[in-house]
Amino acid sequence: MDEALVQVAIPRDLVDFLRVEPQTNSKAQAFTKAFLRNSTQQQSQLKVQSMLSHKAVILGYSRPKKDKSRRNSKKAKGLNARQKRAMKIFQIKPEHQRYELFLPLHELWRQYITDLCSGLKSTSSPQFIQQKLLKADFHGAIITVVRSKCPSYVGITGILVQEFKHVFKIITKEDKLKVIPKRNSVFAVEINGFVSHIYGSKFEQRASERSAKKFKVRGTIDL
Amino acid sequence: MSVDLDQTPRSLLVCDRSSFLNEKNRISSQVEQLHFNYKVSLLLPECSSAPSHLDAVFNSFNSFYLIRNMPIYELLDKHFLKTAVYQGSVYGVSYRTRIDEDNCVALMPNGHLSLSLDKDSFELLGVEGKPSRFNHRTTCRYVVCVDLTDSSMAPGGRGYQRLLTGLRSRLQLKTDFLLSHHPGGGASLQDLLSRYDWSEHRPDVSSHTLTDLSCPALQSCDLQSCDPHSLLEWIGAVDAHISCENSSSSFLSSLVCPEPKTTVSRALSVSVCGLLLPQDVHRLIQQIRYYLEQPRLESWVSLTVHGFVDSPVSWRGNEHGVLRGGENFYSLLIFHDQTYQLHLATGAHDTCPP
Repeated sequence: MDEALVQVAIPRDLVDFLRVEPQTNSKAQAFTKAFLRNSTQQQSQLKVQSMLSHKAVILGYSRPKKDKSRRNSKKAKGLNARQKRAMKIFQIKPEHQRYELFLPLHELWRQYITDLCSGLKSTSSPQFIQQKLLKADFHGAIITVVRSKCPSYVGITGILVQEFKHVFKIITKEDKLKVIPKRNSVFAVEINGFVSHIYGSKFEQRASERSAKKFKVRGTIDL
Repeated sequence: MSVDLDQTPRSLLVCDRSSFLNEKNRISSQVEQLHFNYKVSLLLPECSSAPSHLDAVFNSFNSFYLIRNMPIYELLDKHFLKTAVYQGSVYGVSYRTRIDEDNCVALMPNGHLSLSLDKDSFELLGVEGKPSRFNHRTTCRYVVCVDLTDSSMAPGGRGYQRLLTGLRSRLQLKTDFLLSHHPGGGASLQDLLSRYDWSEHRPDVSSHTLTDLSCPALQSCDLQSCDPHSLLEWIGAVDAHISCENSSSSFLSSLVCPEPKTTVSRALSVSVCGLLLPQDVHRLIQQIRYYLEQPRLESWVSLTVHGFVDSPVSWRGNEHGVLRGGENFYSLLIFHDQTYQLHLATGAHDTCPP
């Protein structure tokens, strides 16, 4: 770059545009000198010292892991299963076991199923709805036990609050939380006049795992 | 008949010998414990026509009612419980249902309702029950027994509501039903009857005279004189009008009259069919005793009472099943000296009679 081009005064129109004031020649010279002295003097001193002293170099056989600290912090955030159990995270407190508290959940579920089955009109085919329901999530559905090997489960109706691998937790209209094993029971789910029966023995999966599972068609199912 | 005939299923026969004069005789309790009697057949040797007082008993047997397609929850009706079940004794048994394939219902005079249900119906009903005693390996039949007079089964109670909703909405059990009420008769059942298609029936009495019948020489009450199995066989054969004039080596029929035998010139066989109450049977026995007090040529009378084959209960409300015949009956041999021989018999699927 030409020295003349560096030393040239800033043109007037640029002064207006950039809103900077051009310094006088002498001032700029003094600033540049001071700046250069500051930045070069120390450098030369350090160089001399380092050249005079010996330097020890540690030859580590592996690099320290970079993200060790980050992972530690991540682990500390969550709880393990035992802690969750101890804190009773997945247990509904007795004061929250009220039927009307779960009615909004049921409404949500209704919308979800209606969306899932694309409108859910009375003309849609039951097979289609059943295929969809098989993979759907049932939290919030009103389910009824219609058949069971154990007679005392028969007739229980309520909103499905929690689904586990082998168990449904239901809240009944009497504000009672009932735990019903899936095995050896048949459940009925009603939505917009469609009643589907769920054979609990074939339904023993977690809701998340079920969505990926392939159900086989069987001729007859016995409890 | 491809089943192996040389291996007959077990059957039970209880023989009892006593006298009406004996204070400890159990005849009345034994008669009363078989609740659902289908047929009474009477064999009067040396008699051409029934005496008037016996005829009067035959014709005064309680009439019974047949209700078509009655839902079983009607038996839990509040009014029916109040007027019929709590007052006296109701005899009710499902009709045209088979105990080994259908659901059978019996309402016993002590207020117990017994339902014999297949597996699917039991799972639908949702009322506690027990697996049937006669299940083979897999449980395919259950027995639900409910005491309607119990406090938990009072109308409005929890047990009552559970059974009512179970029978009304879950398992809509409908059968033809035979119904009879002991002291009240039809009046106490009228409210229930009026709601359904019903008909009143009188027990069907039929009698015919047999001539030159060879019969075993039964002199008095000694069991040794005759083997009870062959005696029962003979009584059954006479009742069914099967000839016993065979030689024991006959190819067609080996039914013979047990030895020693005599021939009576004429005999009267009377049978009454219907839902017969034990009380009526008891009345009949009293009249037979009175009949025997008069001097006769032959000094014995045989009375056989058959229980319903498809009734879910037999003696004392114990469970009853059908394996090949489902027979539950007793045969009473009354002698002129007020002694009697009682043979109580059941098939394989039954408990021991009292």
